[in-house]
Amino acid sequence: MSSAVMDAGPAKTGGVAAPLTRMGIAVLSLAGLFIAAYLLLHRLGIVGTLECGADGGCSVVQSSRWAVFLGIPVPAWGVGGYGLLFGTALAAVQPGLAGDRRIAAALLGLSAFAFAFSLYLTALEAFVIHAWCRWCLASAAIATTIFFLSLPEIRRLRRG
Amino acid sequence: MGRRNRPGASKGGGLRPFYMVIAVVAVVGLAALAYAVARGGGAVLEPIQVEGLDDPRTLVTKAEGVAVGDPSAPAKLLVFNDFQCPACANFATQVTPFLKAELVDAGKLHLVYHDFPLVRVHPHAFIAARAARCAGEQGKYWEYYSMLFGQQMQWSSRPRAPLSDFEDYAAGVGLDREAFGACLRSDRYADVVTANMQLGEQLGVDGTPALILNGRRVREWRGYADLKRLIEGEAGG
Repeated sequence: MSSAVMDAGPAKTGGVAAPLTRMGIAVLSLAGLFIAAYLLLHRLGIVGTLECGADGGCSVVQSSRWAVFLGIPVPAWGVGGYGLLFGTALAAVQPGLAGDRRIAAALLGLSAFAFAFSLYLTALEAFVIHAWCRWCLASAAIATTIFFLSLPEIRRLRRG
Repeated sequence: MGRRNRPGASKGGGLRPFYMVIAVVAVVGLAALAYAVARGGGAVLEPIQVEGLDDPRTLVTKAEGVAVGDPSAPAKLLVFNDFQCPACANFATQVTPFLKAELVDAGKLHLVYHDFPLVRVHPHAFIAARAARCAGEQGKYWEYYSMLFGQQMQWSSRPRAPLSDFEDYAAGVGLDREAFGACLRSDRYADVVTANMQLGEQLGVDGTPALILNGRRVREWRGYADLKRLIEGEAGG
């Protein structure tokens, strides 16, 4: 079995398989990109009010001093990270790049970083800010799923 | 040109369902963002609905004031403030600086400012309160407080929300104009200011500036010297 079809249900593309996990990463990272863009537009004052439910946790989280990381608003990190993941995943499903180790390494590295960053932000919400932002939680769920979908890349790297 | 002459046609054919899903997500996402921008753009200018303020603990937590001084000082003065109120401007220039210099700095007074914009008569008071909170985000609440009261005649007469004035003032006190503007043109602190208003109502505030000294409303006072005497009485001289 080729390394490109290690995970279940590859889509046939003229004899070369595009793993469904990579397709899943592409779709989820695009969804994450829109969530991050929404939060960034709010941060920039372009979207006045966040749809966040009655408890207003998004406002608390977005106003906190933790909403900026290394001088850059956290949603901007999200836009950049999800954008990179989306672009890499799109490349990864192309037939000619299915076995490219650099693509596998990039997917794994980016998703691991996104997962770790989401864990950090969720821990801040739980233990420091004491407020929950639903959009941030949705993004964290997406980053976690992407990370698990990227795990087959380890085997691709080993066999590459 | 026939399909067989396009090298990518047969290879990409298996990805068509995937691209369709991507297209659907992209269209839905872009439409949602466009809707959000069209519907919700701009600054929140009025009080908002905040859930849970019926619970006194939630109200007190949410109605955060801006405080100076030692929290364990013997006297605690709550000031309910409206940035568009002329009497509050007088208080800001003729009382607050002396309270800080003579009582707060001496450890006798813990001074806590709360927002109480009288939105029915002062249409820009709510956004002014939010603006001051946005300045506080950059550590310059009091500089901006003085600026807002100093320029009150200018901005309070504007027919529309004086967002540009407020951004100019922000730059004037050395704030990052862009970050301030982003805060101002959002809903940030709308919940805090709304909660402040509700706290004031619960405490019986009906005008501004309203003073509550160690839990008791101060109604009869004539100028700073009078107020200082009352505070020193609470502080034990």
